[in-house]
Amino acid sequence: MNRPVLFAVFLAGSFSIGIGQDAPAKINLSDPNIVFVQGSVIPIPLEIFASLDKLGVQDWSKQVAVREIKLDTNRSRTAMLFGLVVSEGFIAVQAQDKEAVRGIGREVLRLAGSLGVASSVESHANSIVNAAGNSEWSVVRSELDKTRQTVLNKMAELRDDELVDLVSLGGWLGGTRALAAVLQGNYSIEGSDLLNQPDLVKQLKDDFNTLPARAKRGKVFTQISNTLAHLESLMRTDASGAISKGKVVEISLSTNNLVDAIYES
Amino acid sequence: MRVKIWTFALLFGIGIVIAFPVSSAWAQGAEGSVASRPVVIDDIKLTAQRAALSQLTGERPFILRESSWGGQLKPGEAKLVQIQLFKRNEYQFWFAVANRKAGLNLNVYNANGEMMKTDATTYDTSNVISLLVHPEETGVYYVRLSLQTTIEDPQRWSLIYAYR
Repeated sequence: MNRPVLFAVFLAGSFSIGIGQDAPAKINLSDPNIVFVQGSVIPIPLEIFASLDKLGVQDWSKQVAVREIKLDTNRSRTAMLFGLVVSEGFIAVQAQDKEAVRGIGREVLRLAGSLGVASSVESHANSIVNAAGNSEWSVVRSELDKTRQTVLNKMAELRDDELVDLVSLGGWLGGTRALAAVLQGNYSIEGSDLLNQPDLVKQLKDDFNTLPARAKRGKVFTQISNTLAHLESLMRTDASGAISKGKVVEISLSTNNLVDAIYES
Repeated sequence: MRVKIWTFALLFGIGIVIAFPVSSAWAQGAEGSVASRPVVIDDIKLTAQRAALSQLTGERPFILRESSWGGQLKPGEAKLVQIQLFKRNEYQFWFAVANRKAGLNLNVYNANGEMMKTDATTYDTSNVISLLVHPEETGVYYVRLSLQTTIEDPQRWSLIYAYR
């Protein structure tokens, strides 16, 4: 299809609707006949940060953490670390910290190598490093998401489905840690609702708990299970639509402790 | 010129997206499984991405997620995708199938199962549809997609989204 035709195809018309054709105005979500598409897309940290930034400028620079990573033979831990490091990349993008992003780009490649998927992400990792040097933040953001998705796809292709879940969990954990820390330092009732994620936490917890025992070897994985159960009770709004500052502090502590444990285990 | 180069790069970039259709973790949302997992170009996702292009530039561009959902849909059938959305963000979804005569429905429901007010966008061909939603609160939402009975054959489908 040539370009003029291509763009002509997508000339769009826009209109507002309240009720769509053939779609019911209300659905019973507990109807056993409803077909749910299995699996989920985990929000990336920037998606959540974008909402928080609409309430005012936040100081993300304090959340940028470039840590030394000692790798071992535990691929499950490496998968969690991969997700965590990518989330640190998103945080560094938010803080527009060039050096941190460049370091994270290199670390992403090292972790991908340990997971056996370096060749698939090499071009993305290089793009991250180069774009960060040029302050091309939209490119860095896009390449980080591509890196993350490429590794997930590659893991699935290699039938490492349990590692897919752990990469996703690591990414979510890193973003939640940063979000809770920023909210703790600059609490607002409006902003606190971003931590209202009980269904998402439940799903992550259920996915984690159903992983085979071989994917959860090591003390830190018991901590992950316990922390997710704890977060599920904390990450829901009260009747006023807020999550109290006390709960935000607890979420921040829990996620921070777990992140530390994964890095140091 | 810079915009043209960027647009071309974006088109090229998403044009070479290699997908592993219907693996359990294909973009963390696919259905079913395949034995051989052939590497193919996901032309349906590409159709959705092409439709999204115009929204990814300009003063307030949407940011397209790499993740997507996909599967197979029969005429008259509906499926629900669960997604966590965040208040104050805007989200745009694009739903595509292959058959250009297909009629599609795309709607978003809140956690109580009530349909959300959305701004829908249609295109010159009816096999792509898009909608814009402003979540009233942070939480879980359900994207309902269905294939009208204007055609007879089941269709592979793809759903992508972007935020700003």
